Amino acid sequence: MTESHSKHILSIMVDNEPGVLARIVGLFSGRGYNIESLSVSEVDSDRFLSRVTVVTSGTKNIIDQIKAQVRKLIPVHNLIDITELKSFIGKELILVKLDIKQKTVIKIHEHIKNIGAKILFEDETVIIIEFSGTPTEISSLIKKMKVYNIVELTRSGLVSMALGKDYIRR
Amino acid sequence: MMKKLTGARIVIEALIQENVKVIFGYPGGAVLPIYDELFKQNKIRHILVRHEQAAVHAAEGYARSTGKVGVVLVTSGPGATNTVTGLTDAMMDSVPVVCISGQVPTHMIGNDAFQEADIVGITRPCTKHNYLVKEISKLAESIHSAFHIAKNGRPGPVLVDIPKDIQTFETKYGGKKHTKSFAFYKPNTKPSLDTIIKFVTLLEKSKKPIFYVGGGVINSGSRASLYLKKLLKITGFPCTQTLMGLGATPTSDDQFIGMLGMHGTYEANLSMNKSDLMICIGARFDDRITGKVSGFSPKSKKIHLDIDASSFNKSVNVDLLIQGDLSKILEMTLKYIEKKGISFSKEKISAWWIQINKWRAKNCLNYKNSKSIIKPQYALQRLDFLTKHLDPFITTEVGQHQMWAAQFLTFNKPKHWMTSGGLGTMGYGLPAAMGVQIAYPKDLVIDVAGEASILMNIQEMSTIKQYRLPVKIFILNNHYMGMVRQWQELLHGNRLSESYMDSLPDFVKLAESFGATGLRVSKPGEVDDLIKEMIKIKGPVICDVVVDPKENCFPMIPSGSTHDQMLLGPNDKLEGEISEEGMVLV
Repeated sequence: MTESHSKHILSIMVDNEPGVLARIVGLFSGRGYNIESLSVSEVDSDRFLSRVTVVTSGTKNIIDQIKAQVRKLIPVHNLIDITELKSFIGKELILVKLDIKQKTVIKIHEHIKNIGAKILFEDETVIIIEFSGTPTEISSLIKKMKVYNIVELTRSGLVSMALGKDYIRR
Repeated sequence: MMKKLTGARIVIEALIQENVKVIFGYPGGAVLPIYDELFKQNKIRHILVRHEQAAVHAAEGYARSTGKVGVVLVTSGPGATNTVTGLTDAMMDSVPVVCISGQVPTHMIGNDAFQEADIVGITRPCTKHNYLVKEISKLAESIHSAFHIAKNGRPGPVLVDIPKDIQTFETKYGGKKHTKSFAFYKPNTKPSLDTIIKFVTLLEKSKKPIFYVGGGVINSGSRASLYLKKLLKITGFPCTQTLMGLGATPTSDDQFIGMLGMHGTYEANLSMNKSDLMICIGARFDDRITGKVSGFSPKSKKIHLDIDASSFNKSVNVDLLIQGDLSKILEMTLKYIEKKGISFSKEKISAWWIQINKWRAKNCLNYKNSKSIIKPQYALQRLDFLTKHLDPFITTEVGQHQMWAAQFLTFNKPKHWMTSGGLGTMGYGLPAAMGVQIAYPKDLVIDVAGEASILMNIQEMSTIKQYRLPVKIFILNNHYMGMVRQWQELLHGNRLSESYMDSLPDFVKLAESFGATGLRVSKPGEVDDLIKEMIKIKGPVICDVVVDPKENCFPMIPSGSTHDQMLLGPNDKLEGEISEEGMVLV
């Protein structure tokens, strides 16, 4: 019998101190949990708090265990499982660098406009575009861009929050 | 006006404020300023060990026998890395330890400096928390926080890494009270009354209950033991204890049905297997306890009482979990029972006791004694008989002797049994015994050892000599890494690969060379005199008890098997082959 795996978005408020990310990441790797996406940055410079968003997957038992283990870390103030809340949004940012061949440049411009992406930089050799959206939208964008020559791309990882009340602060 | 103090001085002052009386350590370049401050004071006693691993085990022995935090002081690089096994051991067995390590000066960190090691990085997974103190202003706060974290919630080791320049910088220190709040760590210790009511209702309904008691009860303190004893008496339920839990309530009690698990008793394991209600108190459903999880106590409702939320539903799903400090949970439970006037019918569980007593009658710890060769079990039975009245503190190394000690010795008081449970660290027992002896200089402290394990920290004989610690080392010498050999016999076609202990030292001469007494016996008739002699001698003693080299430890649940698939003795054969699944387990 295999239990069903499900994807979870965990939002974790931590003290912004050296090594705090290593504690979280080390816990995941040491105990064999998955990290599908990770993003982290300071969000409160007065209280030195950072917010970490981890996308992980596992059975219910494993997800419960992950949450209990993360909550045990001393610099962790609060953890919420965004996926368990009624409604939430999740967005990612992507930058894509395309190799331009003269004949396609007008087509690319038009295409980018249609998709709703932004051109950040352009010269005679490359175009860098910026796009933000849900992970599905991002995947779909990458698929569409594949008709061009993608030189490189980078994604920010998912950031997410619950709708309505601010759940992350106690 | 507050005076400015150096970092090194602040370390000592903060330790004094934490009521530290003794620290175990080893000096080196990066902690010289702290050692200099140690020299200038007389409130804290320093015990110089011969290897930093032993410093941590000694601190563990001290902590586990007293309930206080054990303190370790080591230098950077190798000094710090040598503590890793000890810290991991303390982590696994929930022992409160604070380890202070020196570090290269802040401007050298990351430069591969002499004796530099990223000990905060290395010990992140094997400590409850750790600190690298990069600013003198954070020093006092880090040390006081370390003690707070080590002893609150589920106890564990905390490391504080202090670069050498921080030790020489100066700042004001106003004592613990005036240090920035470090009480941010507040584990939930109080259970809800709601869960207590559900708990008592389940207790009332059960016809085949069993208390499964772990080391958490001992960690929670003597009140937890008292309350549990009372709850046992009120309910009349049978009680089994884990390796870590031995002595939580007296093991001479008639309701105690022996240790459970891989080398637990027949009656304890079968009671677990057939029960309808399992009450797990401060234990964690470790793989040594459960055996094959899918066949673990299939018909019981399970209740789990623990302070650590991450212990719940980790390997076994339970029906009711109660988070909190065990002494509080048990106290609330007793109060509720008393308030509601609930009484437990002994009749309801009488059939269960009849069944348990039938299992008991199997006398599963029985062994074939010999007139010509000392059986290890016999030696321990005599040790128990002749020392019980002295309430000795027992430590052990790891292996067959450890399991026999757990099976054959009596533990009537908590905090009298120190053994490496979770990590299974050979070499634990001797330094742990030192730590206990430092805490209780007049009591009888015995390290039950094997000839293989004892050699892993034998250098500590020198520490024992220096501080005149009257530790008694009781070696069951079978010339093998016995547990390794037992598994090789059982699982690897009796190919005894590298498990024979060749070229052993002469333990009597070894003892003498360290100013201790060495005694050796090889005949069963000599055992009693040896033990009496050992107790009589005021100083340290090494007893080399030459035992049957072929004896194995039973009962045994082979890996990957369930509680009802025990091997009871050498004539019990495995039913079929051990599954592939079982072969990969340790």
